[in-house]
Amino acid sequence: MKWPWLFAALLTGFVLPTGAEEKVQTDLYTVVDGYMVDPNTLQGFRTWRAAACDRCHGANQEGLVGPALVESLKVLTREEFKKTVTDGRLEKGMPSFSTSKTVTEHLDQLYAYLKGRADGAIKKAKVEPIR
Amino acid sequence: MKLSSKVLSVAALLAAAVTPGFAQADEELNKLSSDPKNWAMQAGNYANQRYSDLKQVNKSNVNKLQVAWIFSTGVLRGHEGSPLVIGDTMYVHTPFPNNVFALDLETQKIKWKYAPKQDPAVIPQMCCDTVNRGVAYGDGKIFLQQADSMLVALDAKSGKVVWSVKNGDPKLGAVNTNAPHIFKDKVITGISGGEWGVRGYISAYDIKTGKLAWRGYSTGPDAEMGIDPKTTMTWTDGSMQPVGADSSLKTWKGDQWKIGGGTTWGWYSYDPQLNLLYYGTGNPSTWNPAQRPGDNKWSMSIWARDVDTGNVKWVYQMTPYDEWDFDGINEMVLADINVRGQSRKVLVHFDRNGFGYTLDRVSGELLVAQKFDPAVNWATHVDMKSGRPQVVSRYSTAQNGPDVNSKGVCPAALGSKDQQPAAFSPKTKLFYVPTNHVCMDYEPFAVEYVAGQPYVGATLSMYPPPGEKNMGNFIAWDASEGKIVWSKPERFSVWSGALATAGDVVFYGTLEGYLKAVDLNGQELWRFKTPSGIIGNVFTYEWRGKQYVGTYSGIGGWAGIGMAAGLEKDQDGLGAVGGYKELRDFTDLGGTLTVFALPSN
Repeated sequence: MKWPWLFAALLTGFVLPTGAEEKVQTDLYTVVDGYMVDPNTLQGFRTWRAAACDRCHGANQEGLVGPALVESLKVLTREEFKKTVTDGRLEKGMPSFSTSKTVTEHLDQLYAYLKGRADGAIKKAKVEPIR
Repeated sequence: MKLSSKVLSVAALLAAAVTPGFAQADEELNKLSSDPKNWAMQAGNYANQRYSDLKQVNKSNVNKLQVAWIFSTGVLRGHEGSPLVIGDTMYVHTPFPNNVFALDLETQKIKWKYAPKQDPAVIPQMCCDTVNRGVAYGDGKIFLQQADSMLVALDAKSGKVVWSVKNGDPKLGAVNTNAPHIFKDKVITGISGGEWGVRGYISAYDIKTGKLAWRGYSTGPDAEMGIDPKTTMTWTDGSMQPVGADSSLKTWKGDQWKIGGGTTWGWYSYDPQLNLLYYGTGNPSTWNPAQRPGDNKWSMSIWARDVDTGNVKWVYQMTPYDEWDFDGINEMVLADINVRGQSRKVLVHFDRNGFGYTLDRVSGELLVAQKFDPAVNWATHVDMKSGRPQVVSRYSTAQNGPDVNSKGVCPAALGSKDQQPAAFSPKTKLFYVPTNHVCMDYEPFAVEYVAGQPYVGATLSMYPPPGEKNMGNFIAWDASEGKIVWSKPERFSVWSGALATAGDVVFYGTLEGYLKAVDLNGQELWRFKTPSGIIGNVFTYEWRGKQYVGTYSGIGGWAGIGMAAGLEKDQDGLGAVGGYKELRDFTDLGGTLTVFALPSN
């Protein structure tokens, strides 16, 4: 089942919303109910959008002309990820983001967001702050 | 180099000094293109009609077409455009790295091959796959507009470089996908990079030397656009009026026009009698409308420029203040048809925004603007007095604001039609149009401009209109009334340029890879499955008494980008790939030219 917490929430009838809340916390990210994230991870999402990564990797990281990051980030190490984003893979069409301050200053946050997506902890591509 | 008023006036003086009009036109090219045995230009003629007088292949025998020969281009990815045929030679081009082959029609032997060296850094800068829309011929030379913005003239006999010139700065995202066009003694070329904040322009280079003759920007000060506030006309309150001073600058906030897009990567046309060049400008940058209040002139516009001077005779903006990426670059087809009982010299344009426009190409008057896909919902209609589309608030991504997802906008950003060019038959006076039938969700958000980095500012998802499965239609269009005459549904977008012939057959390709022939009522007469999806344009020629019909196949381009790699199942329902992901069930990457003919007996 994709969203067991949703069914749990439905069963409890939202009487105790905090009780139905699903929280995933790792050293990279904190995710509540699959779409509310900590400020760091939120910055990662904003970086993803600002750099227009979706044009090649898909609005939901499902892959287009570029690979599906929901899969790639399962195997790519943090260092490999950083190197790929910084240097690019020009022949394959991946640009170098070394001149983009938005990206270089938020590489860790971007990694946290995409890793959260690949791990399945972040269930929607568009995330919001934790309320 | 910018087009200063000085450059313009010098050019104007020079043009005035020699005989104006078509006396100085390239006589050789005129002759070549009027002989239907050749396919001497990408669209077959200056008017962009994609029509051939050849009729050996006709509606009665087209079902007997068979493969004559096949050529692998050696490159995978999206193959747009078509080869050229001049006399006994065919000129074949490829996507990046933009190789060019000259093939002997008798033996299919490679006479020469040109393989440019280009910095691979331009690959990621090319929006929507590494396509190239083909070469041009003129003055004994083949002209190639490389991805890295180098415009190269090759000796048509040897393939040796005669001259080359840099047309843009790829480090800033100014790259090229368009075919160059030869009009008179000029090589006309555009620029891409609307998603990198490139300020669009069109350039004319001297055919002999490669020297820049003029350049006209799409936005900014009048002089740099080649606009004269008093003599450049536009449709205003139901008649043609001068545009007035600072017609562009007044419609932008601050300096946004400097990174404001309006790129020019489509198909251009030319009327030798009027000495006018016609083309369209693309979307304003960024895709987030909140960052650029105003009409953003002259992005999203149809332009008529004097070929000699670059001076703008008239201009018409189709989508003021774009909020959907309805890039206005699609081809301008020139035809002479009756409108409201009067014979008119018209320009017909099927815009990304879903409206089919008919304008008087002499004066620029707006004659017809009607939806060519019933699914179009972002505007109710075009007000014929002001020429402005009447936007529906619900689908206005500007009114809904940044970080709000506007859902169910039709058409999607790739338009009711993209660059895939339509055909016009002078016999039927109808247009045969390959179209998209796709809707989208569009969520704009704030972005910061960084030179040489993507500058987009919206997240999109695309899918077929609600309750429908077909993502494309091949239609016949009456441009005098603005009416769909017939519509043939296709499972995927029809991303291939159409060809109409005197044999009463119309050809087009599909993303699944079928080359199809239909009759004048849209009834399918024949189909053939080529090695990969077709996004190229169908062309025809005659060699030793036999008519040939050909097309590239090689899936790619915007509609086909999901094919290229790593497509996984969507996590959140309808994603950017939407219905296109099923293409995987039909085809894979390719790079082939397939040529057909009737059997000898």
